[in-house]
Amino acid sequence: MIDLEAARYRWHPVASSTDLVPRHVFQAQLLGREMALWRADDGNVNAWENRCLHRGVRLSIGINDGRELVCQYHGWRYANRTAGCTYIPAHPADAPARTICNNTYPAVEKHGLIWSGEKPDGQIPSLDVLDTTSITPLRGVTINVPLENIALPLIDYYSSGQRGASGDSVVHYGADTPDPFLLILHAHGHLHTSANAQAVDTPTPDIAFFFQPLDAARTAVRGVLCGVDEHNIGSAALIALLKQHSFMLCRARDIIESGHRDKPVPTPWTPYIPKVSDRHASMPPLTSAGQQAKLRVRLSAIENLSPSVKTFRFQALNTQIESAAPSVLPVAQPGAHIDIHLPNGLVRQYSLINGPGQTDHYAIAVKRLDDSTGGSHALHDSLKVGDVLATSVPRNNFTLRRDAEHTHLIAGGIGLTPLLSMARALDHSNLPFTLHHFIATETDAINRAELENMSAAVHWHVGQDVQQTQDTLSALLDAPTEHHHVYICGPGAMLGFTRETAATRGWADESIHFEYFKNPDVVDDSSEFNVELARSGLSLQVPAGKSLLSVLREHNVGVQSSCEQGACGTCRVEVLEGEPDHQDVYLSDTEKAQGNCLMSCVSRARSKRLVLDL
Amino acid sequence: MIILYDYELSGNCYKVRLLLSMLNVSYEKKAIEFYPAAEHKTDAFLSINALGQLPVIQTGDLTINDSHAILVYLARQYDKSDTWFPISDPVRLAQVTQWMCFADSLTSSASSARLVNGFFYDLDGEACRQEAHRLFRIFDEHLWFNEREDHLWVVPGKTPTIADLACFAYVVLSEEGGISRMDYPAIRRWTDRVKRLAGFVVMPGVFPAGPGPVHVLPANDTFPSAGTAEA
Ligand SMILES: N[C@@H](CCC(=O)N[C@@H](CS)C(=O)NCC(=O)O)C(=O)O
Ligand code: FES
Repeated sequence: MIDLEAARYRWHPVASSTDLVPRHVFQAQLLGREMALWRADDGNVNAWENRCLHRGVRLSIGINDGRELVCQYHGWRYANRTAGCTYIPAHPADAPARTICNNTYPAVEKHGLIWSGEKPDGQIPSLDVLDTTSITPLRGVTINVPLENIALPLIDYYSSGQRGASGDSVVHYGADTPDPFLLILHAHGHLHTSANAQAVDTPTPDIAFFFQPLDAARTAVRGVLCGVDEHNIGSAALIALLKQHSFMLCRARDIIESGHRDKPVPTPWTPYIPKVSDRHASMPPLTSAGQQAKLRVRLSAIENLSPSVKTFRFQALNTQIESAAPSVLPVAQPGAHIDIHLPNGLVRQYSLINGPGQTDHYAIAVKRLDDSTGGSHALHDSLKVGDVLATSVPRNNFTLRRDAEHTHLIAGGIGLTPLLSMARALDHSNLPFTLHHFIATETDAINRAELENMSAAVHWHVGQDVQQTQDTLSALLDAPTEHHHVYICGPGAMLGFTRETAATRGWADESIHFEYFKNPDVVDDSSEFNVELARSGLSLQVPAGKSLLSVLREHNVGVQSSCEQGACGTCRVEVLEGEPDHQDVYLSDTEKAQGNCLMSCVSRARSKRLVLDL
Repeated sequence: MIILYDYELSGNCYKVRLLLSMLNVSYEKKAIEFYPAAEHKTDAFLSINALGQLPVIQTGDLTINDSHAILVYLARQYDKSDTWFPISDPVRLAQVTQWMCFADSLTSSASSARLVNGFFYDLDGEACRQEAHRLFRIFDEHLWFNEREDHLWVVPGKTPTIADLACFAYVVLSEEGGISRMDYPAIRRWTDRVKRLAGFVVMPGVFPAGPGPVHVLPANDTFPSAGTAEA
């Protein structure tokens, strides 16, 4: 076995220089790692991780356009030299952050070969003991045998007087193996070409064979002939010589492989491939800004669930989603919401209460609230069956995990709505969960019959005051349990208490999922700051009294939004530099402390300047 | 009008679509669902080709089966440049025939491995892959030495022949049968060249090449001793 760790610090040959023809991408491998090698029009050789940052597709099937390498799948482009991603089709700004780069490896040309390595820190092997006035690479040959098993049989083969395609070898070789990766054969004697009885002597150069460890089980042999000058011997003789060696190497390969046939397969080398973050590696949504109203729906049914709660059912009128057949609506996951554009001009978010896989309608449940800013009144009082409304496509910032050992759903009042769709999905898939519904009076127990029919334990906590509610919640969250997840939706005070209690009891932030109806806090927009947009190259000033989102919008930078009060998570923007001043209730405390994203509708900057991934 | 009995995912049909497109011959496709419907084994199709194989073309009263026979016919009938099937040159004609037979052995190895992986054929996939690799090694060496003499195509000479298209289909689809082409750099460069021919068309699983020269090799293979740079 070769010393794998030491091999990572060496230079290895990965191709012949002539392999990298213009506008071609060469597929190489070294120490189990695949590389895409390509020569740009300026002559520069790039050695990159052979995968697209987007979906991991091999870049060796991509297009070398002379300056950039383009992925065949979705057209992400990567620049010569830096491997920086320069373009993401359909991205809001059609350009990614300068910070997204593929992994690159060093590449240099020497001895007619391309050399690379994971983190080479020494010198490329020297051939100083040989005549290096000119060097001619042989055709590289892959042998499906681990590297350490090649040198000895290859020496045997070369020194045993083999018959070649173009002559009888009377050459004797003296072998020298300075290290496991290099074999030098010093030639004594001459090779005659039997085709010509006058025995025009074919030169018999010394040969250096470099062994390239492709992976644990395969090795490429890259030989170079030393001191053959094509101008002296002519190109026909040179080609004959190359053919002779190609023939010999293929024969040697067959012998070595058959001698190795019954050996156990070595443990594979698994290269470590540093990853970029999921958000960078996922396809961004199509260009869109603001509160989108993509769908037209018709109100098809209204039903009273309780004296103050009605359900509204909408059917597709037409759809601009290309692939959806008429009357089918874009699918929503449990926990998703839509924006509804109401006749009075208001835009409001409502969670869908649909069961799993229902795409023929959207259903929401709305409580008539006296302190409502107009949404529930408009729905309750002025809408009639048959009315046409505009809605957004469903968005989900309250995603249900399906891998929890147990799921706790905690609802305050009408906050049941997203949890109802979750309960329907969990029940449908036979996943274990418990539902707690805190309600003021028995009449608020909507969908009670359906919930009672589910396999899960459902508890209604009726008429509890603040203290009692807190006691019940404290008992529920008594001790964190691994692989349990808590989903909570309800009034701000209840959510705040639950989050605090969960945190002090030691629940991990990632296991507590919450959705606010609205942001209970008052937004402080008195600060002034600068934002720089890394992708679009803009530098903007956000004055006091204006939100970051509205400044972005004024400059035509597309950011999606929904609630526009820091509750729903739709307007999230990545922060590359600077310290955000978080004013939302969507991010968890851990996420806020990390400081690498913010809700652009309410959050601002503590530092004078923010750099955003826009 | 030529009618091509065609299955979109068939490499043998792809060979014919490639030449039709490169020769700019218009034709009509009749889709025969090879998988899963096995329409090529129905009475209706067996009456057209008793072998129950695709592709088949019909034109007037003429029916021709076998992709290579069809390539020969199309080249003789429609190739005004008379280069795709070089009948006046005995040596090249023999070489074209030789490599078409080689292409048939790709059908029984590389293509069969793909049938196992993608169409659930009950064949020994591993044996097919091994045989394909044996053939690819030979093919790569052949192409590597052609490049050395500035021959860009399967058969030495200035222009591509139907042997290129015959070999291309199952070489370029080999990954679908689990046969990597990483060890065959000369094959990979040749597939780029075929993709850059005028009239080239893709099929599912085949990506286009970007614009570029058909081929450029450095003037000679001999390099000065000094490396360009060393880190
Ligand atoms: N030698 C024939 C082989 C054609 C062939 O194998 N076609 C496949 C589809 S790609 C087929 O129809 N196979 C069914 C069978 O052989 O029964 C040719 O080159 O056209
Ligand atoms: S996988 Fe490369 S662009 Fe999508």
